[in-house]
Amino acid sequence: MTSPPSSAPTGVPALGDEALQRCADEPIAVPGAIQPHGALLAVTEPELAVVVASANAAELLGEGDDLSAVLGDADLTRLRAGLAGDLAELNPLRVTVRGAEFDLVVSRADGLLLTEWEPVEGAEEAGAAWHRRLPAVLQRLSATTGLAGLADTLARDVRTLTGFDRVMVYRFDPEWNGEVVAEARRADLAPFLGLRYPASDIPAQARALYTTNWLRLIPDATYRPVPLRPATDPRTGRPLDLSGAALRSVSPVHLEYLANMGVISSMSVSLIDRGRLWGLIACHHYAGPHRPSVADRTAAEFLGRTASLLLHTTVEAGERDDVVGVAERQAALVAALGRTPRAPAQALTEGSPTVLDLLPAGGAALRLDGRLHLIGTTPPADRVAALVPALLATGAPATDALAQVLPGAADVAATASGLLAVEVGAGDFLAWFRPETVREVTWGGDPHTSKTVDTGAGPRLSPRRSFAAWSETVRGTAPPWRPHEIAAARALAGHLTESALQRAGEDNRLAAALQRTLLLEQLPEVPGLELAARYRPSTADVVGGDWYDLVPLPSGRISIVLGDVAGHGLAAAAITAQLRHALRAHLLRDRGPAAALQALNEVIAALLPGELATAVIAEVDPETGDVAVTNAGHLPALHVTAAGVSLLREGRGPALGLLDTVDYPEARTRLVDADRLLLYSDGLVERRDVPLPDRLDTLRAAAGTAEAGPEALLDAVLAALDPPDADDVTLVGLGRT
Amino acid sequence: MLFEIERTTVLGRPAVRVRGELDIATAPRLAEAVDAQLATSPSSMVIDLTETTFMDSSGARQLARSARAATGSGVPLQVVCPQENRPVRLVIDLLELQALVPVVEAARGIDGVVGP
Repeated sequence: MTSPPSSAPTGVPALGDEALQRCADEPIAVPGAIQPHGALLAVTEPELAVVVASANAAELLGEGDDLSAVLGDADLTRLRAGLAGDLAELNPLRVTVRGAEFDLVVSRADGLLLTEWEPVEGAEEAGAAWHRRLPAVLQRLSATTGLAGLADTLARDVRTLTGFDRVMVYRFDPEWNGEVVAEARRADLAPFLGLRYPASDIPAQARALYTTNWLRLIPDATYRPVPLRPATDPRTGRPLDLSGAALRSVSPVHLEYLANMGVISSMSVSLIDRGRLWGLIACHHYAGPHRPSVADRTAAEFLGRTASLLLHTTVEAGERDDVVGVAERQAALVAALGRTPRAPAQALTEGSPTVLDLLPAGGAALRLDGRLHLIGTTPPADRVAALVPALLATGAPATDALAQVLPGAADVAATASGLLAVEVGAGDFLAWFRPETVREVTWGGDPHTSKTVDTGAGPRLSPRRSFAAWSETVRGTAPPWRPHEIAAARALAGHLTESALQRAGEDNRLAAALQRTLLLEQLPEVPGLELAARYRPSTADVVGGDWYDLVPLPSGRISIVLGDVAGHGLAAAAITAQLRHALRAHLLRDRGPAAALQALNEVIAALLPGELATAVIAEVDPETGDVAVTNAGHLPALHVTAAGVSLLREGRGPALGLLDTVDYPEARTRLVDADRLLLYSDGLVERRDVPLPDRLDTLRAAAGTAEAGPEALLDAVLAALDPPDADDVTLVGLGRT
Repeated sequence: MLFEIERTTVLGRPAVRVRGELDIATAPRLAEAVDAQLATSPSSMVIDLTETTFMDSSGARQLARSARAATGSGVPLQVVCPQENRPVRLVIDLLELQALVPVVEAARGIDGVVGP
């Protein structure tokens, strides 16, 4: 017992190291004694001379220095013939000794042949009828689907075969705690089904023995051990290794344990899955001593070995069904995302399956593009928005006891004791919630009771005395997230991240192309005016909603437009294109900038509700220098004169899209001599670290000292303001020639 | 970058307090918080921008949308943004958001307008 069972989920108390050490030291493989229901002779090969004998051998088998004194010639010949082959085929050999029938079972250990002699008289025998039914039993076992069916069939058939009062199939968890998963019992006995036993009930060295020795029988737990003589193998000076012997005397601790359970006779068959002890078929008899025949035990062992081979496929088929189900739903979700790549949230929440169906959970949350969606039973939105990032920040984003990780989450235990979260891109997430399951952990005895007793030789591990079922409630926990569920969640998040990036990349290419169509390849030639324009796209890989336009009008005037749609990316670029063309059409009616913006506002109200845009229009008469300005929520245009720089604060109205109808005013001014007009987008002046009013002051100062001409004006203000490249920057300047 | 949305009450009225930078990245959080408050069918509601340090056009667009959502739900909404908060107040004034939703100086201003 190298690792104490300290990791049991309910906190089985760690035992004193000394007691565990004594348990680990107990010589269970070399007890120096056997049980009294048979005799043992250890003989040499090929002479078959007796080296070690159990103290009851002479009484049962008579005196003799070798087996020729015990067996008749015919039996001896059969034995010698069998020894040349596979011992498994020889066992058991039915022999007659002094007129009595014995089942002889042989094995090899320490260079000796161990011969074990069990009288046929006194053994219970199911009889030939059962053995004829064996093919049907095997058929039943292999036809079961799922662990429950396999374990039930196994318990029932082993009980029919062996006649024990109770036959249980017992499964170990990863910490070696056991749970009774199937049971066949005498009708009057209390059920043990579902009982759990702490790992310390079956010490590690016993478990190690069980992986090599498939069947153990104690016909009478009240037996007196029969010593071996001599106590040690005279050739080696060591006690005989009985780990492979059927008659091996068991640990007194184990006998005490059985006595505490009221068990008189006990048998167990190992269930081994690919070399690892998976569980046991545990048989109890309460009425009195009980000894199934060697043949019946061999059949029981055969059933155990058959079930062991089936375990792998049966158990995993059940689990694989779960895994396959999750994978299928994951594929369905990915397919849904593929069908509507621009509405991922809709694909995950409105179709079938939804993201909640991906794995067993009470509720799910997804935040995509900063928008939170909740499905099923979850904590309130504001709690989800805080809890999920907090769990992600811990670096361990799957928990079955959230309040233990985030103490502030204790009040949402009812809906979110289990939380599995995965990040999508930067800042978005997927999350699943599992409600609290108030788990009844039923132990076949109180794991917290003290188990060490004082003996003359110091403290010794003592089997628990209380076997009244005892339950413990574990609050604030949910069923754990299984590895394939976490993997599926991660895979879905990875897919979302990737497709979002891909979508963003496509969007940007489209938007950039769209944006280019909004820019003028060549500024119009307008006699009497000098025009200049700059468009600098953002370097943040996003396209903004800026646009500008220069529209020569039938009247000979020209409209200079600078606008900005709120938002960026493909959506903003598409709206920008619509607004630019709509505005152009209204400007060409030549009714002035206010009428055009009024009409444009109505276009937004009718066709693009919820969108917001700003625009400023300066309509210039090249002949006279008269300017009419209307501004819909945009930054004020700049009028640069010899006397100074002024912001055109007149002619303003609300941004486009705020109200259904607006009557915009027009302000009038005039460009004289070298006066210039500057229109610009917010990208020029907006900085997160400097208040906008201060930036406008900087702009005025720079414009005031710029050299002559609109080109020089644009260069000067760009140099002075050095706008951050996170947003696009648009400038249009004009002056008279 | 600091950003925080707090659902709270101002003078007993449900309120959404926005701290930090309200921009294209954080505007959806304002939408969520306002939707959640509106879902409780309050008799009136406040969006407090006193501690908002920055608002871009996307933030303003969301403010306008939330104002429309409140109107659609029949919930009188007021936006609190004092003149001292120049960066945000200037954006509000430029866009003339007042045309859509009352913008007041301070929480106490609401008391008289909405009334208990």
